[in-house]
Amino acid sequence: MLAAIVATGLATGAVYALIAVTYNVMFSASRVMSFTSGQLGMLGGVFGTVFALWLHLPVLFAFVLTLVACAAIGVVTEIVAVRPVLASLDKHLYVLSTLAFALMLQQLVAIEFSTEPQPFPRLIGIGAGVLDQKFWLPVLAGGVAVGLLEYVYRRTLIGHAFLAIAEDSFAARALGLPEQRLRMTSYAIAGAVGGLAGFAGGELMLSYVANGPLWSFYGFVPVALGGLGNNRGAIIGGLALGLFQQAANFLVGGIFVSVATFVVFILVLLAAPQGLFGGAVGRRV
Amino acid sequence: MTLARRDFLMASAAFAGAGLARPALAQSEPIRIGWLAALTGPGSSAGIGFDRGVTFAINEINAGGGVKGRRIELVTRDTQGDPTKCVNASVELARRLKVDVVWGPCNSGEALACTPILAREHVPQIHPCFVDTLIDPTKYPNAYRIACSNEQLGEASSKYVLQIMKVRDIALIGDTTGYGTSTVQAYAPVLKQMGGNIVYQSLIEASQADLSADMLRMRDAGAKVIMPWSVNGGLLGRLLNARGELGWDVPVVGHPALGSGEVKALLAKPEYWNKVYLMGFRSCSFDESGNLPERTQEFVKRIGGKITLADTSLWWVACGYDVAHLVAKAVEQSGGSGADDIIKAWNAVKDYPGVYGDYTFTAQQHNGYPTDEIVLSRANSFRDGAFEVAPGYG
Repeated sequence: MLAAIVATGLATGAVYALIAVTYNVMFSASRVMSFTSGQLGMLGGVFGTVFALWLHLPVLFAFVLTLVACAAIGVVTEIVAVRPVLASLDKHLYVLSTLAFALMLQQLVAIEFSTEPQPFPRLIGIGAGVLDQKFWLPVLAGGVAVGLLEYVYRRTLIGHAFLAIAEDSFAARALGLPEQRLRMTSYAIAGAVGGLAGFAGGELMLSYVANGPLWSFYGFVPVALGGLGNNRGAIIGGLALGLFQQAANFLVGGIFVSVATFVVFILVLLAAPQGLFGGAVGRRV
Repeated sequence: MTLARRDFLMASAAFAGAGLARPALAQSEPIRIGWLAALTGPGSSAGIGFDRGVTFAINEINAGGGVKGRRIELVTRDTQGDPTKCVNASVELARRLKVDVVWGPCNSGEALACTPILAREHVPQIHPCFVDTLIDPTKYPNAYRIACSNEQLGEASSKYVLQIMKVRDIALIGDTTGYGTSTVQAYAPVLKQMGGNIVYQSLIEASQADLSADMLRMRDAGAKVIMPWSVNGGLLGRLLNARGELGWDVPVVGHPALGSGEVKALLAKPEYWNKVYLMGFRSCSFDESGNLPERTQEFVKRIGGKITLADTSLWWVACGYDVAHLVAKAVEQSGGSGADDIIKAWNAVKDYPGVYGDYTFTAQQHNGYPTDEIVLSRANSFRDGAFEVAPGYG
């Protein structure tokens, strides 16, 4: 029983972690918390079902198409919901614009796809029991995604450029960096990461329109726990959240899981407002 | 302007004539049934099924000359399963359109919102919603239920498990919605009272990704049958997959959603649907030889080619069909379509032989469906809108 709890906890936690990374990547490029993150995850599952099950495309091809489609929606998010409100970040208009765009995506999926959970294809057919692919695929996807992102951010020139526009977009522009193009690229990467979450977690959590708001919610917890912009913190926070949820489900029952989760979340934030892995932010005076 | 005596007399005569003519006009006016239908939106499948039945019956009655020469007119409002839209439509049907009867709504959430309004407006209402509190002849003297209540479902499923399957150790679970929570709370005492031993009772979050741990706990608790109460196809599909992956062949007895296409689509293997039984109705179930009851068979033959049953439930169609006939019978017997006429006629209905069931209403009992018509069916036996009756009924 413990193995089942751990396997499910790690898998769902990895999906939450990938959604948290989606939040982080978008935030890093624009200082905007985009509420489309969970919807991008949901779309990863929906596209997976549409491409692999409905259109009978090979799984690998369906996977690539899913990432491309989600990346494109990431770019549209930037154009439609983020760029118009960037000039007035201090008014937090992005909360409304990204939330509205997220709701539009959700309604569109409800109308054109289904309001009921839909099956997701068996991807590679490896493993059984607690070692089934549906448990370890999301964890693998999370590890690979964060590893690649960390490499890009820390070891490549374009990664440094992403960090530069996040740090000070005016200074970055003054240095000749193509700020807008870099931001769009970041949103495309975020879209692909969100799509990866939904695709890798599809076998376990199905293609379901209601996953969108749920993941937007639970994906935000690791962001806060791990520290805003900290992908390694998000992964640890996500896995911890998944394990805690499953343990709470086992110990106190399904009806109290959300309550237990948010009690712990609030307690952690009271103890460490900057997140468990985030450093205190300096304020320029 | 002056009014001549002759004009005054003529006007008075005209008014008097109009007054005299009114009863004659009422006798030729159509009988108007307001239909609170969820025809679009997430819960629309039942609404569409009911709609097919009631429309077919009305067309049939009108083609035969109507009721005492009066046609039946269906005034449909699509509530989309939304209680707010249902309330607005109820007010419109009762106050502005002044319908004679309201049929619907199709789900309990909507009915909880609109039944008090229709009671206040004194419009006879007949609906197929399961929640027990919707029928109360004191609070809602004009509301009637044509389908079974939750209490009847609980009694029928408990009887099947305890008396036909002869299993006592039960795992009783529901989802965390209002329906799941209230059903588990309502059925637990019924099961215990009838001699059941609830070895595991739990509410499960419908979005929970994996149910292996819950299944292991049920198995370790010694459950010999699982009774899940949820309308969520995702949760039920995961439950059956977890059962299959554990290799545990414990029977599952529960909500009609266990036999839905959504659950079927989510099953990892078709055999995971074996030994799964859902609530159904004898009148709309195939017996072990694959035949429907004679009356239903005749009905299916009659609607053949006019109503498709492949994508709906036969009981929804039959129930909608019976509603139109119950209204027609009430008008025919009482001679009028006023609220009091219809209520008086319905209170005297005894063993009315509908397609979906034999209905009996009295002034004190507005639950018209007989409990012994409720049976369990095999979840994996759906064809032409009906399921095969579960083993053991004889």
